[in-house]
Amino acid sequence: MRMPVWPKAVSRLVSSSVALLWICFASGLAQGASQPHYLITNDDVPFVNTVTFYAVGANGLLSLKGDLQTVGAGIGGGFFNTNRVSLLNSTGNECVYASDAGSGDIVGVNVNTMEVGGSASGSSTDSGATNGIGLAMNGQYLYASFTGSNTIGTFQVQPGCALSFVNDIAVAGLQAGFIDGMAIHGNLLVATFGDGSIESFDISSGTPVSNGDEQNSTAYVKSQGAAYPNGVEITKDGRYAIFGDTSTSTMVEVSNLSTGKLNKTVVYSLGTAISSSNIMLSPDETLLYISNTQGDTITGAMFNKSTGKVSTGCVSGKLKGYSSRWSYLAGLALDTNAGTGGAIYVAEFGAPSSIAMLAVSSSSGKCTLQELPSSPMTDANSSGLLSIGTFPPRSF
Amino acid sequence: MRTITRCLLAALTCGFALGAGAQCPSRPASGTVVQDALSVYSQNGVLNAGLDMGYSVDTYGYSHYCYKYQTPTGPVESPTLRLNPGDQLVLGVQDSIPTGSPSAMSGMDMSSLPGACGDGGNATLQSTNVHFHGLNVPPICHQDDVLTTLIQPGAPAFKYSIQIPTTEPPGLYWYHPHVHGFTEFQVNGGAAGALVVEGMEKYRPEVTGLTERVFVVRQQYLVPWVPGPYQLTLNYQVAASPGAPAPVIQMAPGEKQFWRVANATLQDFMPLQLWVNGVPQPLEVIALDGYPLAAPRYETTILVPPAGRAEFIVPAPATGASAQFVSLAYSTGPTGNQDFEQLLANIDLSSSKKQAAKSTVPPAPSAANGLKFSGLKEIAPTAQRNLYFSEEFGGTNGPIQFYITVDGQKQQVFSPTEKPVITTKVGAVEDWTIENRALETHAFHIHQIHFMMLEVNGQPVPNEDLRDTIEIPYWSGSGPYPSVKVRMDFRDPTIAGTFVFHCHILLHEDLGMMHKIQVLP
Repeated sequence: MRMPVWPKAVSRLVSSSVALLWICFASGLAQGASQPHYLITNDDVPFVNTVTFYAVGANGLLSLKGDLQTVGAGIGGGFFNTNRVSLLNSTGNECVYASDAGSGDIVGVNVNTMEVGGSASGSSTDSGATNGIGLAMNGQYLYASFTGSNTIGTFQVQPGCALSFVNDIAVAGLQAGFIDGMAIHGNLLVATFGDGSIESFDISSGTPVSNGDEQNSTAYVKSQGAAYPNGVEITKDGRYAIFGDTSTSTMVEVSNLSTGKLNKTVVYSLGTAISSSNIMLSPDETLLYISNTQGDTITGAMFNKSTGKVSTGCVSGKLKGYSSRWSYLAGLALDTNAGTGGAIYVAEFGAPSSIAMLAVSSSSGKCTLQELPSSPMTDANSSGLLSIGTFPPRSF
Repeated sequence: MRTITRCLLAALTCGFALGAGAQCPSRPASGTVVQDALSVYSQNGVLNAGLDMGYSVDTYGYSHYCYKYQTPTGPVESPTLRLNPGDQLVLGVQDSIPTGSPSAMSGMDMSSLPGACGDGGNATLQSTNVHFHGLNVPPICHQDDVLTTLIQPGAPAFKYSIQIPTTEPPGLYWYHPHVHGFTEFQVNGGAAGALVVEGMEKYRPEVTGLTERVFVVRQQYLVPWVPGPYQLTLNYQVAASPGAPAPVIQMAPGEKQFWRVANATLQDFMPLQLWVNGVPQPLEVIALDGYPLAAPRYETTILVPPAGRAEFIVPAPATGASAQFVSLAYSTGPTGNQDFEQLLANIDLSSSKKQAAKSTVPPAPSAANGLKFSGLKEIAPTAQRNLYFSEEFGGTNGPIQFYITVDGQKQQVFSPTEKPVITTKVGAVEDWTIENRALETHAFHIHQIHFMMLEVNGQPVPNEDLRDTIEIPYWSGSGPYPSVKVRMDFRDPTIAGTFVFHCHILLHEDLGMMHKIQVLP
């Protein structure tokens, strides 16, 4: 039986919290006072889904701001990495988009008013009722990965956080796997499939067009299917795609994108913490945060944005929420858009779900990750929380 | 498609009741004296009975699936079926689960399978059938077939007719639904009952004259697919519900009782103990998985995996002592669900045994026959096989793939239309080594036969027990894979046919951690 793990070095955590408070306060000033600073959840509630807003305090801590019902229904679970929240920070159009996997629609919410601006559905055959609808966007288009129908829907962003459906395309992994993770950089969309394969698409015309580079990842081949890419990130300069693998250890893969296509991935094994489904780069791209989905820890790996190499960094202790609430760990979000991101937030799937909060410190190629004493924050609406995001979003 | 089904099913079990009707009998209140289920006995070599599968939702939102047995005073739930070796079990099973479910809830159309048995149609949450867990009987239609048998709501009662072998080991077996993809939901709702093959006293005379108790431990999740809180129940009485008193087992001071305990939970590994004044007591183990031990042995902890059974003698504590029957916490590994310590019952020594006693084991009327699987140790195996459990997690209900694989074959989940992954023939005796390459403990079970334990992690076991379900501990992520080596006995020609082996964590079984084996005549 897992027993709750409580921090012993409370004084050390308090010291870290004080330092974090200062960092967060400074970065909060830098972000400007006019924009709200929220952590936003897609609660993925079956039948009547909700989106919950938490105000991010100057110390990185969360307080409930409010919630709203979307226009549709969630499903209460699914792929860990399918990102059910996407954020747009455009002048006059500050929005959070949340997918309703049960009803198959995407709702846009005005972050400032916390009111629904509009919603849209894909084609009649688009479905995410199996494992969710993932979202990724640039300023003009939002792309939705329908995990049930194995399609990518293209939606055009409209004023007032509305959307209009453009079209959809059918996709499939090399072993007929279903679409899982997505990330966008410029005119490139990179996707993972739940069968070990990865593929990139040209989105310069709006609708994704395959770059013809679909391939099995190196880890998938080497492990004979025991590990496969799940989450995906693209560096700020677009040179590398980083994949977080579902595996029995911590494993990420990096593909060079300098040719405009995916190249053979390089595998980095980073320790025995279990699985790496969800990943997120720090704003300064020095750290790669990894949610050890079944391993109840968060890993911080060192990332070299010049070479694309990943190396061992630090691993948190076992998170409290995981141990006491039957949670899986899933989506990641960051407090600030500078440095290493300030506080790290982690979606904890469970009954009820919660949001873990960790402090990070990093210097000279070393890092530490510590859960805050007040963590986790219960997300009372949800027993199926997998996806979170912070507004304003990271710029890449 | 399967996951769509599961989501909708889960939604329904979250409170969208299927409708009125087919109400299950009420279940006992917390803190009351634990009663054995009604026993139904064979007469003149035949046990003729009818079970009606019903459904209702209780006031706390738990879905109840129930085997209703009609008595002159009304229906009772999940009677204990009692047969002698050589008896005929004639069981009519009707499905009265309310219909009206959406078509999206359907599994595959079983009518399309070769040899389809029963009502055919789509496998759904409302479909049912019966597996007679542990019985060494034929895997064919109207007997112990789960691959093609489907009983649909509203159809006439389906007739099972099973000859209990004369060499069937005496002991505790159990029955439960086994519709692929939906087993978890009905067992979670309580659809499980005990089956006793009489005659233990012929092989283990230690039990003669003792008061016999039959305890079925079940498990109920409010939402089976979420790894959240659950309740264990003891003969349908909720055990250790927060704020509610525990069930009560009555014993007379100084007496010994013969307890027959079935683990009918979805996934709870139960290390059983009897505490007296907080100290675990030695328990005299008589049989495991319905097979008498070669010799009784004393254990303070009896680990019973999901679907396993343990039969043991319990001495009543001295007057004034505080005694509890508990299931300890059990670690199922980094990716496993948590099995918490649960108080199953308090032992009440203040009352006489008049309420507790249900039956007494009679003296042996005749000499014991040779049991099935006798002499297995001395037989040279005709084949060696290696199998392994493994998992992939990509989401909460997505490709959480649960595999059991014959080493060298491709990992794949079970499909009703698949070809058998193992083919052998009557007369074969095989040694199987089963590894666990997953970060979660699994419970291996094979239909139709018992197997002999040979090794654990490459080391010979001290007791070569005959089992039908065995735990294989989780892999830690490094080092050798945990394993068990067992001897499979396919000598009995009556078990020729196609049947399954699988993990008896029922979610795993429903999601495909199962495959077919064919035993050729």
